[in-house]
Amino acid sequence: MTSYFIRRLLLVIPTFLGITLLVFAVTRVVPGGPIERAMNEALLAQTDSAQMIDMNSVAGAALSEDQLAELRAYYGFDKPWHESYVIWLGRVMQLDLGMSTRYTEPVWDIIKNRFPISIFYGITTLILTYAVCIPLGIAKALRHNSVFDNATSAVVFFGYALPGYVVAIALLTALASAWEWFPLGGFVSDNFDQLSTLDQAIDILYHATLPLIAYLAGSFAVMTFMVKNSLMDNLSSDYVRTAIAKGMPFKRAVFRHALRNSLIPVATSFGQLISVIISGSFLIEKIFNIDGFGLLGFESLVERDYPVVMGILVISSLLFLVGNILSDICVAIVDPRVKFGENGS
Amino acid sequence: MKLRPQLNPLTQRQLARFRSLKRGYWSAVILLITIVLSSGAELLVNSRALIVSYEGNWFFPTYGKYLPGSTFGLGYEYETNFRELKVFFERQPSNSNWVIMPLVPYNAFEVDLPASRYPPNAPSLSEKHYLGTDTTGRDVLARLVYGFRIAISFALILLICNYTIGVALGCAMGFWGGAFDLFFQRVIEVWSNVPFLYVIMIIASVIIPNFWTLMIVMVIFGWMSMTWYMRTSTYKEKTRAYVLSARALGASNARVIFSHILPNSISIIVTFVPFAIAGGITSLTALDYLGFGLPPPTPSWGELLSQGTSQLESPWLVTSVVGAMVAILLMVTYVGEAVREAFDPKKFTYYE
Amino acid sequence: MHLRMNPIARALIALVSTLALIGCGTNDKGNALPETPGEVAQEIVSYPVNGVLPKGLTWETNNEDPIFASADAKPGGTFRTYVLAFPLTIRRVGPDSNGSFAGYTRAGFLQLVSLHPNTRNFVPTLATHWAFDDDGKTVYYRLHPNAKWSDGTPITADDYLYTLDFMRSKHIVAPWYNNHYTTQIVNVVKYDDYTISIEGSSAKPKDEILYEYSMGPVPKHFHVLDENWVRENNWKVEPNNGPYQISKIEKGKYIEFTRKKDWWGNDLKYYRYRFNPNRIRVRVIRDVNIALQHFFKGELDTFGGVLPEFWHDKFKGKDFDNGYIHKIWFYTDNPQPAPGMWLNQSDSILSDQKVRYGLAHAMNIDKVITTVLRGDYRRQHTHHEGYGDYSNTSIRARAFDLTRANTLLDEAGWTERDDRGIRTKGQQTLSLRVTYGQSHHTPRLVILREEAKKAGIDLTLQLLDSSISFKQMLEKKHQIAWMGWSGGGLSPRYRQFYHSDNANKPQNNNLTNNAVPHMDNLIDQYRAATEKTDRVELAHQLEQMLHDTGAVIFTFKVPYTRDAYWRWMKLPEFRGTRVGGLFNPMGGQFWIDELERQSVLDDTAPKTAPVSILDTTYLSE
Repeated sequence: MTSYFIRRLLLVIPTFLGITLLVFAVTRVVPGGPIERAMNEALLAQTDSAQMIDMNSVAGAALSEDQLAELRAYYGFDKPWHESYVIWLGRVMQLDLGMSTRYTEPVWDIIKNRFPISIFYGITTLILTYAVCIPLGIAKALRHNSVFDNATSAVVFFGYALPGYVVAIALLTALASAWEWFPLGGFVSDNFDQLSTLDQAIDILYHATLPLIAYLAGSFAVMTFMVKNSLMDNLSSDYVRTAIAKGMPFKRAVFRHALRNSLIPVATSFGQLISVIISGSFLIEKIFNIDGFGLLGFESLVERDYPVVMGILVISSLLFLVGNILSDICVAIVDPRVKFGENGS
Repeated sequence: MKLRPQLNPLTQRQLARFRSLKRGYWSAVILLITIVLSSGAELLVNSRALIVSYEGNWFFPTYGKYLPGSTFGLGYEYETNFRELKVFFERQPSNSNWVIMPLVPYNAFEVDLPASRYPPNAPSLSEKHYLGTDTTGRDVLARLVYGFRIAISFALILLICNYTIGVALGCAMGFWGGAFDLFFQRVIEVWSNVPFLYVIMIIASVIIPNFWTLMIVMVIFGWMSMTWYMRTSTYKEKTRAYVLSARALGASNARVIFSHILPNSISIIVTFVPFAIAGGITSLTALDYLGFGLPPPTPSWGELLSQGTSQLESPWLVTSVVGAMVAILLMVTYVGEAVREAFDPKKFTYYE
Repeated sequence: MHLRMNPIARALIALVSTLALIGCGTNDKGNALPETPGEVAQEIVSYPVNGVLPKGLTWETNNEDPIFASADAKPGGTFRTYVLAFPLTIRRVGPDSNGSFAGYTRAGFLQLVSLHPNTRNFVPTLATHWAFDDDGKTVYYRLHPNAKWSDGTPITADDYLYTLDFMRSKHIVAPWYNNHYTTQIVNVVKYDDYTISIEGSSAKPKDEILYEYSMGPVPKHFHVLDENWVRENNWKVEPNNGPYQISKIEKGKYIEFTRKKDWWGNDLKYYRYRFNPNRIRVRVIRDVNIALQHFFKGELDTFGGVLPEFWHDKFKGKDFDNGYIHKIWFYTDNPQPAPGMWLNQSDSILSDQKVRYGLAHAMNIDKVITTVLRGDYRRQHTHHEGYGDYSNTSIRARAFDLTRANTLLDEAGWTERDDRGIRTKGQQTLSLRVTYGQSHHTPRLVILREEAKKAGIDLTLQLLDSSISFKQMLEKKHQIAWMGWSGGGLSPRYRQFYHSDNANKPQNNNLTNNAVPHMDNLIDQYRAATEKTDRVELAHQLEQMLHDTGAVIFTFKVPYTRDAYWRWMKLPEFRGTRVGGLFNPMGGQFWIDELERQSVLDDTAPKTAPVSILDTTYLSE
């Protein structure tokens, strides 16, 4: 078992290389990158920027081959992609993620600054999801087909069917704009630094309430039903029936035996929890004006900020790969029957 | 297993059980009716008339070649405006000509822009815009119906493709394990990290994306999660006593998989079906919302949603599309719940 | 600037076209330069004097034009506005410096001369006088002796010489500037610390050279040009010479500008009573609709309403009814952008002039204007509107006319129709792809598409990410390009858009692949002409020839600016200038009544009937 996980850890290396190589290659094919933007700008410049800066207005001219070569060198497009990849990888090995082409700042600094926000929202959402879904799933399984079960299903599915960004816009319009109960977005107030610790906590919560509701609205359904269905499976299985037939109290049968087994599917997603530090929804962040990972990720994609795209990829793929292994470890812990790595044929 | 013309008793029992689950059953009925109706939407929601009787000849314009206005003595060569034709005929009482229009006499593309008022226009019974018009003056109901048809077929086809790949591959990975498993785990890990949006952008810059290209992209990037769940489930079942004993009795691999592992994993598979369909609909909607989906002017819920959320002062836009989404997704999930309960090989035990 | 037509972009255009105008009332050489104690005197290497001023120059200036600000204006207060994205840099040049924030930073850097917005005469700014050389391409300037950078360093001839070094440097990674300051501005000569000349590349009429070969200085003492320049200057506040300077940067949240109290040009004629707010705070709000909610809460002072749905539908509520928020619709008269459908004449279908004419007659632009655009926009008839004498106003765009469209298309051989009613010719279907990059233009195209069906034309809409769509157009891969060139300058430009040198080659602005030999001749003549009357005559001919090719179907123009503003925002009696810019934060004439702000927000201010102003002073039609 241990050797299996060591082997899994070693396998992270080729997978990581595969992921980064593939995405690096893809970024070279996407149209509309920084060089093309500069070319576009040169042709638009005779009207736009000229007027802005110099009042001058001259014929837009295509960039010369020399100028293009300089731009390619500046953005690191002057070498064949595999060579550039090797250079990039070498830097990553030295923990240097490079420089954002849009912000002209180190990628790591940009990413690092978003961690507090994503961790806050990620972990809060997660804790609330588990805190609601596991008890709710259990209760629903035990009272299957009752009024309670039907009513909660309707509520949970309703939340699931509503897109998070619609919830966000509705909340913002009603509670922040019309009734002014909550602020119109942001992570903290402008005078955050001057507040006492208690007030700072209140300030964060005050700003976080609406985004959290938007994040949570759709997140209950899958988890609740996973717990419910899985517990019902186990309740109907032979070992629970046998246990009850032999006189074990029902509660004990549920909580000592069935529950543990029914949490296995939940555990398969456990390892991925470490990815919350780079989580965030682009649309919700945009609506609530939160500078988190969703905005950074989406904007770097759309604006072709390749160093940032690759930087996020490095972090997200490593977290993802390690998360998968952690998931397997979790499964192995909660389900002793699962034996990874043994000859499976 | 041989196919028999009659359903076997087990299936009959399952169907009876499904029927007894009222919420799921009625959701399924309504959903099926909706899908069937939407597949013939041209007969219900269309700017082309159902039947035109003109000078003793009958015309059925719904399907087939366009009929220029000159066919009915109108002075133009482009497609007849049947709503106007109807009014035109009705104003001549001596005339025996008549037109029967569908329930909603608009299609999803035409712009209805009455003078003096600007789109979007609020719902109006007299104009037969039952849910109003969008920012371009197109009938919201028509766009909802045709948008639904596209979204639901998209979700269903996507589901079938993803599940075929996911179940087969996941099962194989869990069953054989070893190098095969390892290799495909890596493939999945690599794939799930490719920025989907870039692939869409690359494709959109080469060709105008359509239903099938978008489908292919979604399948290429969508099969992983089912594969992963199936793999875990197979691993779990493989080590169970009944599988081990079946093997000890010399059951073939195929028999172990099809008679033991798959039926016992069915709850995993079926649990995710409604979420997968809902996921198919919502991801198409989200892509359209962000402008990376089907090209305009394809009727689309995402496009309507983005109109609605930026035009909250025209509430019929956002309420009709959100209402439709919630209704459809709720029914899909209820059906899924009932299917799971009815078709699970294990009977639920109640300890009350 | 049709590429990004949202309220912010509009506001920026207004902002940009109202370049800060500062006149100099006096030219008192007796004024000693104030000392700036405490400043660390940097060692500034001085450029050698390398010119001898020609004799007999006629120095010109302009102190006669009326001022365009109000003596009632009260300084003070904070103006709050927003941008949709936090700027990537506050550099003026270099990568990503051309975003929506550029208007704010660049407004802090003045030019030698500027245009009076109403008279369109040149007025002195950093230069007090100017004179023309007989060669027709060199201008001499006398610099304002009091002009200073925000750190107190005087602005001298050396800064202008340095501008050339700076703008030509590879280290700024700004190829367009490298080009411009090499090919257009050929030389700068210093005669003494306060006298320079600038030589342009070719002879032009006087107003043109003054316009085209004017420039602003770069603070020589501040910059260190090396390969790290781009990165190191990302967030460094460069000394500027305008009335405002950045005083605070909260990354991702806001940038604040503060009015310089002892600004060198405080008492100058065209400057007084303007730039009234003490602070300008530019917040980031990433969604227009949410920004509007901030405006309704009183957290923003004004809100742009050029787009019809804002003006007609969203600008509603009790604050409008109570007269707390006012609306103003202000017509302007300045060079219009040229939005249109640019037909690729090398395309097999569109190479036929009859098809192009037929297509033009099948485009129901007026229906788009009267429906989704609420009748607010107007039809654009030619490429160059709002250029005064240069504009050929006799040309009318081809109107929607199905009979003529049908006749033309029939004559072109597109006589059969398929099952959908779309015309065919042999195996080909009359289906044309429209490439565009702005999703909010879809409603306009949807209407055109539905109307075009009546003529048997099928338009397929290809909506792309805006940079990809422009790339496709520049590579001439489009059939119909739906885009707009921004307007500006004193006179029309033709060469880059219509000269055959650019046809059928990628990476240039001839999107129609226009190649008409006779047009080439006229374009060359136009460029060579130095007399305005000749140029006007040639421009009229060229515009007519362009119309005759049918290569472009021009669409809309928006000759106005519209805003909603809280009542505490005060405008002068004349409200705005010819170019609009009512609430241009960096150069406007408005002022803020902070007391009234309080009473309005407390709901204690007296209520009035709703106020909606329509100002047609500069309506040209």
